[in-house]
Amino acid sequence: MISFTWLPEAGLAHNAKDIPLPADWNEVTGYIKITSDNIIKIINPNPEFGQNVMTSLPMMVAEELDVEWKKVVVEMGPHDSVKLGPQFTGGSNSMRMYWRPLREAGAAARNMLMQAAAQTWGVPIEEITTKAGMLYHEKTGKSGKYGEFASKAAGIAIPKGVKLKDVKNFKIVRSSQKNVESSKIVSGKPLFGLDYTHEGMLIAMIEHPPAFGMKLKTFDASQSLKMPGIKDVFSMKLYEDGFEQGGFDTRTFNDLLVVVGKTTWEVMQARKKLVVQWEPAGEIKEKIGGRGGAREVIVPGELETSSAQYAKMQEYANKPGQVVRKDGDPETAFKNAAQVIERTYNAPFLAHNCMEPINFFAHVTDEKALVAGPLQAPGWSEPTLAKLLNLPADKIEIQMTRMGGGFGRRAYGHYLYEAAVISKKVKAPIKLIYTREDDMTYGIYRPMYTATYRAALDANKNLIAFSVKGGGIPEHAIHANRFPAGAVDNYLAETWQIPSNITIGAFRAPRSNFNAAAEQSFLDELAEAMGKDPIDFRLELLKRAKEKPVGKNNEYDADRYAGVLKLLKEKSGWGKPENNKYHRGVAAYFCHNSYAGHVVDMVIRNGKPYVERVYSAMDCGIVINPDAATNMVEGAVIDGIGNAFYGKLSHKEGKAEQNNFNRYRVIRHSEVPKKIEVYFVQNDLDPTGLGEPPFPPVFGAVANALYKGTNKRYYNQPFLDPATQNNNTNTNKKTF
Amino acid sequence: MIKLNINKKPIEVDVDPETPLLWVLRDTIGLVGTKYGCGMAQCGACVVHLNGVAVRSCVTKVSRAVGQKVVTIEGLSENNDHPLQKAWMELDVPQCGYCQSGQIMSAAVLLNENKNPTDQDINNAMEGNICRCGTYLRIHNAIKLAAEIQRKDSK
Amino acid sequence: MVMKFRSSAFAHLHIFKLANLIFYKLINMSSGKTYFMHTKTFAVISTILSVIVLMSFAIKNEPLNNDPNVVAKDSVASVKAFMDVYKVLMSPRCMNCHPAGDIPLNGDDGHLHSMNPQRGKDGKGISAMKCTTCHQPTNVEGLNQPPGHPDWHLPPANMKMVFEGRTANQLAKQLVNPKTNGNKTIKQLIAHADDGLVKKGWDPGEGRTLPPMSHAEFKQAWITWLNTGAYAPSSK
Repeated sequence: MISFTWLPEAGLAHNAKDIPLPADWNEVTGYIKITSDNIIKIINPNPEFGQNVMTSLPMMVAEELDVEWKKVVVEMGPHDSVKLGPQFTGGSNSMRMYWRPLREAGAAARNMLMQAAAQTWGVPIEEITTKAGMLYHEKTGKSGKYGEFASKAAGIAIPKGVKLKDVKNFKIVRSSQKNVESSKIVSGKPLFGLDYTHEGMLIAMIEHPPAFGMKLKTFDASQSLKMPGIKDVFSMKLYEDGFEQGGFDTRTFNDLLVVVGKTTWEVMQARKKLVVQWEPAGEIKEKIGGRGGAREVIVPGELETSSAQYAKMQEYANKPGQVVRKDGDPETAFKNAAQVIERTYNAPFLAHNCMEPINFFAHVTDEKALVAGPLQAPGWSEPTLAKLLNLPADKIEIQMTRMGGGFGRRAYGHYLYEAAVISKKVKAPIKLIYTREDDMTYGIYRPMYTATYRAALDANKNLIAFSVKGGGIPEHAIHANRFPAGAVDNYLAETWQIPSNITIGAFRAPRSNFNAAAEQSFLDELAEAMGKDPIDFRLELLKRAKEKPVGKNNEYDADRYAGVLKLLKEKSGWGKPENNKYHRGVAAYFCHNSYAGHVVDMVIRNGKPYVERVYSAMDCGIVINPDAATNMVEGAVIDGIGNAFYGKLSHKEGKAEQNNFNRYRVIRHSEVPKKIEVYFVQNDLDPTGLGEPPFPPVFGAVANALYKGTNKRYYNQPFLDPATQNNNTNTNKKTF
Repeated sequence: MIKLNINKKPIEVDVDPETPLLWVLRDTIGLVGTKYGCGMAQCGACVVHLNGVAVRSCVTKVSRAVGQKVVTIEGLSENNDHPLQKAWMELDVPQCGYCQSGQIMSAAVLLNENKNPTDQDINNAMEGNICRCGTYLRIHNAIKLAAEIQRKDSK
Repeated sequence: MVMKFRSSAFAHLHIFKLANLIFYKLINMSSGKTYFMHTKTFAVISTILSVIVLMSFAIKNEPLNNDPNVVAKDSVASVKAFMDVYKVLMSPRCMNCHPAGDIPLNGDDGHLHSMNPQRGKDGKGISAMKCTTCHQPTNVEGLNQPPGHPDWHLPPANMKMVFEGRTANQLAKQLVNPKTNGNKTIKQLIAHADDGLVKKGWDPGEGRTLPPMSHAEFKQAWITWLNTGAYAPSSK
């Protein structure tokens, strides 16, 4: 059964002309529907936020199913964990998670069709072949469209363990296919959560406290209620006291001061007429669930200011942290070193700032709920939603619209819950909308980080010890088992954290997005102190990690990591004199199962640094859709440059100092490289992700290029904000 | 009642004349191709044309559109075949796609006024349109391709 | 030399008269009776005197305004008034739209207008970022929203009327020179104080600091400066 509610007409994948919807779909495995006319529809299980899973995942099905890609229709699936798998978009996991299941579904469906044909024709299945949506029995010259056998196939039990194609024989996967939604995007079709409409739908907005650590005291809505189009103004709690939150149930403000009206503008205007008293919330006790049971967390009440937070972090950075990994005897090695290099790196909160502001639709009655909107992980939010609405999961229908950006922000379902509880209260379908200001000041930021790196060199400038002490508000960024752990005899990793009422969440390559910047800058500085080329230095360390690894659980494949660096060295013409006019910075990193590296070529123009070219090398196993993959890497490079140069969310007494793009600077058109050349290591390994891995090393490469261009090391992000450059704590911590 | 002309069609709407054109298009008329990104003319997601001139509809009152020909992304072409739309699809520009209506509508004004834009022309013209996914390089190349398509089409 | 510039000629005449008067008084004081110097001698002496006086004025304050409407030239009052004018014109609400480059400035700190909208040939912007793309006929309500006026624009490319980076001396000269002030006469300059865009400086929208004096005070200073000879403060 398929319900086509508001979703735009399914379009042909290849040329995307709209077709009238046929009625007789036969479901052959949960991912495939075929009509008698041989129209093949493939369901995309994972929500789409620009990583093009909507094209790449169906490609895998189509490949094994053996159909013509240009005849395939793609549709976004509903939330259905039974039929469609985990359906979680995040962690650069989509390709990895669905590589087997989707190929198996395609292969199984093909097998079911072959069985159906074999039965119909009364021939053994071994004699049946397929090609591009057709079945053949060569011996008798019989042939037929998949569609002719679809209804029969739908009744056959889904076989397990069907043999998959050899990855070397792919016709669809590993070739570039065009984005199946392109034509809808460029013609302004309704696609996003904000575009969703429903009969009788009202608009709701929430008036949030002006600062973290504040809560609602009293409000007077008398003027607002008089405004045109306004239905109601009320306050309610999101979670009841003592509610046990799941890992992705983070929310900043529990009191919801809600304005409900007919249109967006009317509600925006009515909000301006609210007279509200806010008060400090003080310390709050929260219950957070997890493996091993629920634990109580104390959320501090202080209204925080960035400069004070920064100072506090430096204090903690100078104290011992919690040891999370120790190899050999780093203390002694540092004591006996001929030279110790120590550097401290800092980075601010970042706001995700997806172009589509937070929003969600909900239509909740006593019996059931329909919710629709931009959401990365419906499965993670469903249990809490069911609890809040007191409805069983099978009475809750979750539809995922296309998302105008995710970056991790939309893994946190608080806005889904808010929409749902509001709808339940007003007994009407509502769409909850956050303005840009609401969105940018709500929190769930990338944390604030500090990390201190130390390296010990012996008299021959050999690296004998390496340590990192990393912390953050409210959590640290350290991955203790990542490179260069495993490559250095004496290694120490410590962490610390400072709690805060500023909420945080996953931001494109969580932790790694800072780690890579700090660590890769430090390795650059280390290489310089040792008189080594930065790439060769890393390759030496990786060689050591491969041949004589130190310690256990080293969380990377040294060969693959080195492979990316070697590819990068080759393709960027590293060391070639014709590239000397550029200020070159290099960085590489492993995260989310893939390996990435960049060479950033910077120039200084009118005193301003400008990245003119970037070379990128990736190892993500089999590349499913090369052009889409290239687009992802380009995007990560540009996003990385922008955040490294400008990204900053600062606070004054709990209030976000940036609430729109006039203050929160993002990279713009004229600032992007003229050329980004992306190379993939060719291998047949199972695919891993690309959404996050290319992002972290960009920061490090940019920092290293800046050094070459300005003769100054950049330790504090954002790099082009003069205020943060004045906070350099390394001025006196030269090499000693 | 306010009389408008949107994508060559006359339409009457019953809204406060102070309402921004963006919300009249989206909420009242149901043309959701024009997007809300910031509400203060900083991001360009809301760009539409008034008699061929770009305006940011999030700050433009609907009263300003009276007597003007309004063109939104939905009306840029009859068959999704404006040179920019063709170029965008050819080069697979979008990632999430949310900013692209505004990008295309801004680029359309550039190409109307400048048949052979240089890199600098494109940079100057497009600086007001934000893309969080970082498709700027593809946008840049697609505008160049669109200019080429436009030149070929006009021969 | 004397007849080259209109302004110096008038000054010369003024000084000639003054010198004549002083000389006459001196002569009377010394001799107690009316004494008319030989015209030729008198002319020579007064010319020398006036040249000396003129030269000394050239070093200090320059009269730039020879408009017959001028009430009475008063270099001291003129310069004093201009210093007030200068304060206003160099404040963000005025200077932001009179930048040295081709991108307007924003905010009280005069940072580059985000998105780098370009001046364009006519000062009205280019392409999809013409001024009127965002700047409406009236201010958009709300903090940091675009201020508005039906004719929002920068000075055109061939008459940039830059304030940013100008000294008081430079700006004064620029303002009265028709070649650099948009072809305005003194009369038009006076009227300009009530130009719609000029007045916007005092109705800039929420979150923007007003100029350092009221429009009425500015207008007073502006007209005073012009009417007393539009003297430019010394370049020292």
